[in-house]
Amino acid sequence: MRLVFDRGTLLLADLADLPAGIDVGKIAGVLWDARIGGYRAPARLCYAIASELRRRGVRIAAQPCPDLTPPSEFRPLELRPYQDAALAAWRQRGRRGLVVLPTGSGKTRIALHAIATTRTPCLCLVPTRALLAQWTSALAAIWDGPIGQFGDGARAVGPVTVATFASAYHHMASLGDKFGLLIVDEAHHFGQGTRDETLEMSIAPLRLGLTATPPALGPAARRLATLVGPVVFERTIGDLAGRYLAPLERITWRLTLDPDERREHDALWEVYRQARRAFEGNHLAGAWEDFLHQAARTDEGRRGIAAWRRARRILAFPRRKREALALLLGRHRAQRTLVFVANNETAYRVAREHLIMPLTCDIGRGERERVLARFRDGALRALVSAQVLNEGLDVPDAEVGIVVAGRLGEREHVQRVGRLLRPGDGKRALVYELVVEQSSEVRQAERRWESFAIRNRSAA
Amino acid sequence: MLSETDLPLRLIEERAFIDFLGPQDEPWLRVLLAEMARFEGRRRRELAERLSEPLPCETPYFKRRAATRALLRLWRRERGANGSGPAGADPAHTRLRPAELRAELFGAAAAGETPAASLVDETAARLGIAPAALIEALFADLPGERPVRAPDPPPTPAEAALRTNLAIAQAVLMRACRVELRVEGGIRPIVRLAKLRGLLCTITDGDLAEPARPVLEISGPFSLFRHTLLYGRALAELLPHLAWCARFELRAACAVRGRIATVSVESGDPIFPAAPPTPFDSRLEERFAADMARLAPDWDVIREPEPVRAAATLIFPDFLLRHRIHPERRVLVEIVGFWTPQYLATKLEKLRQAQLPACILCVDEDRACAPGDLPAGMPVVAFRRRVDAAAVMREVERLTATAGSKAA
Repeated sequence: MRLVFDRGTLLLADLADLPAGIDVGKIAGVLWDARIGGYRAPARLCYAIASELRRRGVRIAAQPCPDLTPPSEFRPLELRPYQDAALAAWRQRGRRGLVVLPTGSGKTRIALHAIATTRTPCLCLVPTRALLAQWTSALAAIWDGPIGQFGDGARAVGPVTVATFASAYHHMASLGDKFGLLIVDEAHHFGQGTRDETLEMSIAPLRLGLTATPPALGPAARRLATLVGPVVFERTIGDLAGRYLAPLERITWRLTLDPDERREHDALWEVYRQARRAFEGNHLAGAWEDFLHQAARTDEGRRGIAAWRRARRILAFPRRKREALALLLGRHRAQRTLVFVANNETAYRVAREHLIMPLTCDIGRGERERVLARFRDGALRALVSAQVLNEGLDVPDAEVGIVVAGRLGEREHVQRVGRLLRPGDGKRALVYELVVEQSSEVRQAERRWESFAIRNRSAA
Repeated sequence: MLSETDLPLRLIEERAFIDFLGPQDEPWLRVLLAEMARFEGRRRRELAERLSEPLPCETPYFKRRAATRALLRLWRRERGANGSGPAGADPAHTRLRPAELRAELFGAAAAGETPAASLVDETAARLGIAPAALIEALFADLPGERPVRAPDPPPTPAEAALRTNLAIAQAVLMRACRVELRVEGGIRPIVRLAKLRGLLCTITDGDLAEPARPVLEISGPFSLFRHTLLYGRALAELLPHLAWCARFELRAACAVRGRIATVSVESGDPIFPAAPPTPFDSRLEERFAADMARLAPDWDVIREPEPVRAAATLIFPDFLLRHRIHPERRVLVEIVGFWTPQYLATKLEKLRQAQLPACILCVDEDRACAPGDLPAGMPVVAFRRRVDAAAVMREVERLTATAGSKAA
């Protein structure tokens, strides 16, 4: 019989050759497809099914196999002891699994080493276009062969290919049989059902997931373990701080609103609360979406929504935060500083006021790369960003972080703080957090650091 | 595409009903369009912010969100002058290149101790523009900072409703993993598009008695395993093309609001249609139709006749030649592009399975994909560059002679 790759699935063909008594429909994952009158399975089970069939004495005439030339002749890479240990743990678990390490600890380096030593066509999946460019550069630094790319307008296959999650999702039907190794950067994006097919449609038996923030125990973690493999190695900031990560100091500045801002904020908040109370009177434990739905039907509700948005806008960048930011930028003028704000609008405001470069999703790849290069060589001292710097982007040697505002919670915070932890000689990372007193920001900030502390304690 | 939270849907048991926009929504759509017109020339970001707040009239929440998203997308397609800033700013900034300006200004700010305001003044003076214009021009090339430009002509409230309805229905189909289609007339472009997108098209058993209105199930290979949204985009793409079918009913099981519900869309639903399909696939077919019409005035040349069922698939002949006086004299004609002898043999076998009275394959001699001769004894007309209508007519006469004599 033959196993045939068909658009992200596996077809079991030529079943007439099967020895008597073998029912392929009973093999785990194989289903009868009435649309084509044949058996089909997800591509990720390719090797498992082939192995099971061989065990039962079935001769397999053909099966999908990566036919790209395996990459070779990589330049040597040195690993730190914990990186080496992570790689050894991954190999020991059959080259399938998740490596959990904090941002800045060199997860990419582990992956590069895995690619170099595995020597099978490899597909690296990354969440953003910024990381696509970063991974392509990192690969080019250790290998002279052609690097394929899917995403950011490119569609080229190479023995080592980098693809954004979005692009891989749409092209895995044609890419799924080309690679033997999958590297999944920021692997915590998978396991929740969204785009999991990307990993299911590949025949690659070897898989390495990288993350700083693995999903908590539960269905998502179990699913991720099925798709990529179990957690094979884990170290946290607490484990690596000092020697491999810069020690971290947190400074929270509690700021007040100016009287006029306070008046406006409180007045807006009151309008919102009235609308909210009116809603809650009729909808116990109603969700936020339900509130928006109901509120849009009445004048009072519409005013409430508008007031809530404006109150949030005041908190995002009030006068005191502006002053505090100016002070901090002046104080740390000699150090590389990252400013984190809530949205692009604030990023541009900060950029205009303080003449520091914004790095937002709107800035094109070419300019972004030039900006990061200038930041790296010291020609730019500070960058301001809403979300682009949140995840994965390699920003070496930033020493100071100023969190003006955030909106995505704990994971965002862990990633942001991670930007500052790349080690340097005598480096001590400083995180300033600007929080408006008597506002929703106070609780948000506490929650962020609570979970951050728990994550570190659990590691210790 | 609209997000799930923007969809005006009513869920009743296992079914979801799309709340289409209609004439009753035109008053608030008019207010929305007027509000968008007010922001002409201002920053797109400002318009988006404004529209995130309620309108000054009562609006159905989900419908308004959907309309806002659909119209903002339409507005975004209109590009302002390259790198131009909001209206009212110093026109001098239009000759500045914002990216270069950013590199220069932010680099200079990092290099020296000059306060930001002084640096802006100095740079503006050197460029011969006002400091405010310089600040304005800094990000003028970025998407959110580009000026708002309405489409020309701007949509009427009725058109806005149709466009929003299409966006809503497509967003719902984006959440489907398979669709069931009952179509009459114009099915071929739908199947062609589906196959082009890597989807599987199969005929379900329920429609055998009604071959003129086949029920197609369109899904993707992976749909077998679970309710995947992988093919949602491809399925949604089919929708505006269905408007050109004589009649259609589409049913899809969609994952909405945490459950799987069946959604129906059918002819007459107020959806903005796709551009009309081209009458011919190629210049070659167009010329053949013209030649036949000239050469055989007694024969109707019918382009893309109803599909013919062969086993579990449908065959879509390119033409049906039917005698006007003796309609029992009918021949299907298919023009084949790339081919191999094996392909032709399989094709003819399929046609035999379909029990067609007669079918002629016109084969391009220059586009053979493998060495080998044309299958002998089969109604195949070879051609180069242009199908010889006279040769096809000779085959037609030969194949239908019996039918003709019987009729006579």
